[in-house]
Amino acid sequence: MIGRVSDVPLSDDPASRYLPWTVGLLVFLATLAFAAGMFLSSAGDTWRQSLSGTLTIQIPAALSANTSAAAAEEHRAQVSAAAELLRATPGIVSARRIPDAEIAAMLEPWLGKQVLGLDLPMPELIDAIVASDAGIDLSALSTRLAEVAPGALVDDHAVWLRRLTDFAGVAETVSFAVMIVILISAVATVIVTTRTGLAIHSDVVEVLHLIGAQDSYVARQFQVHTLRLATIGAVAGFAFGAGVVFLAQTYGGRLSGGLLLDLALGPLQWALLFVLPVVAILLVVVTVGITVMRVLGKMM
Amino acid sequence: MANGVGDIVRFENVGMRYRLGAEVLHDVSFSLPAGSFHFLTGPSGAGKSSLMRLMYLAHRPSRGMISMFGRDVSTVPRTELAALRRRIGVVFQEFRLIDHLSALDNVALPLRIAGAKEDQIRDHVAELLRWVGLDGQIDAKPTTLSGGEQQRVAIARAVIARPQLMLADEPTGNVDGDIAIRLMYLLEELNKIGTTVVVATHNEALIERFRHPCFHIEGGTLTGPGVKPGEVES
Repeated sequence: MIGRVSDVPLSDDPASRYLPWTVGLLVFLATLAFAAGMFLSSAGDTWRQSLSGTLTIQIPAALSANTSAAAAEEHRAQVSAAAELLRATPGIVSARRIPDAEIAAMLEPWLGKQVLGLDLPMPELIDAIVASDAGIDLSALSTRLAEVAPGALVDDHAVWLRRLTDFAGVAETVSFAVMIVILISAVATVIVTTRTGLAIHSDVVEVLHLIGAQDSYVARQFQVHTLRLATIGAVAGFAFGAGVVFLAQTYGGRLSGGLLLDLALGPLQWALLFVLPVVAILLVVVTVGITVMRVLGKMM
Repeated sequence: MANGVGDIVRFENVGMRYRLGAEVLHDVSFSLPAGSFHFLTGPSGAGKSSLMRLMYLAHRPSRGMISMFGRDVSTVPRTELAALRRRIGVVFQEFRLIDHLSALDNVALPLRIAGAKEDQIRDHVAELLRWVGLDGQIDAKPTTLSGGEQQRVAIARAVIARPQLMLADEPTGNVDGDIAIRLMYLLEELNKIGTTVVVATHNEALIERFRHPCFHIEGGTLTGPGVKPGEVES
């Protein structure tokens, strides 16, 4: 059938004229939604991996311009004692005091480059790595830390991690739901377009039927026509969508100034993204076939 | 009423209505033996086209039984109706050619639908178009053809797949006398090789000239002096 004029004059059909645009726009949006879902999925995993298995011990600031040298010395001794206690605790692989410069770098996006010169009462932070199979009693550890460094707080990031991963999970679900809704919209659009096409060409379709055409013969005519239009739209929509995703991956980290994790899709995720337009085209073509068969099924 | 095993068409007490409208055919009963040739006459609006629609399986009866090629149509699965339709050639009243297709593609439709190979189609169709006098118009679109030429394309389309039953609904309505007579000779040729033919027409001159059994429909009921007992009854 490909290579010769279709029996049903679908190429002149005003109903299908905008199909490539519609499919293109929907595939573009679905590509972005799918990529966003995969970005968030990766981000959630990265956050989970980076925060689980670590403890952060926060020792309140005691140093300021007015603090006496003796008090400052005592404070540093408390921090060292806390670090030593952590290192001696079974199940903790390592513990290190986070240098002031590193804390300043973390605060730089909010407070600027002159953080250290502001004389802010910054807490001391100790980063502890916990063995994956260690069952540390955080309550007991907190009590012992408070004895060597009064006011020390142990943060296992559980609350932050749960909120973050919950947020990532919800956002990921929303992204995939948006993608599904977009694909359903594509299906609905195609159903309306196909039904309109059948109504416009009902006379030709009836002649084909009366000559002995099976429903599948007529459906194939619509499917071949739609395959061509949907492929044009899907390829264009995907090219633009993938371009936007690539730009976001390349420049997103830089533009967000470190506030966001670097956006990056792995090879498998890119492969999945490339499957999307193929799925969209197949969905459209199958929808057309089913729609035509259902409408013709009501005829004698 | 004839009830032979070789009946191509058999109607028993058939009634027909369009949607919820009034019945347009009432208690129509007749049978057509294989290889017969009949005229169907009657005034406009009498039900000729409705009867033809039932015979070319475009419409279901609202009651009664229709048997085509020995099969009760009401029990034929929808997927098999197409195969039954391929055994019927139809020349529609308004020809119903597909305007964007060439004469060749219009005539080739039944072969393509039946799954014939493309390399065989062109030669076969071209030969038939030559036979109906359209060898110079193979690639012409129907809109560029005269009424008579369109009619010949429609006839070629109807006969290309060698149907067992040929139905022609007012086939001479739009053409001059010579072409009408030529068409009738063509249908007679088909009839001689075994095709059962039914021609619905107003054309009394043709009926008079070709003298085939004739049944008459009026007010949705098959009646009239033209019906030959044993071949067509109401």
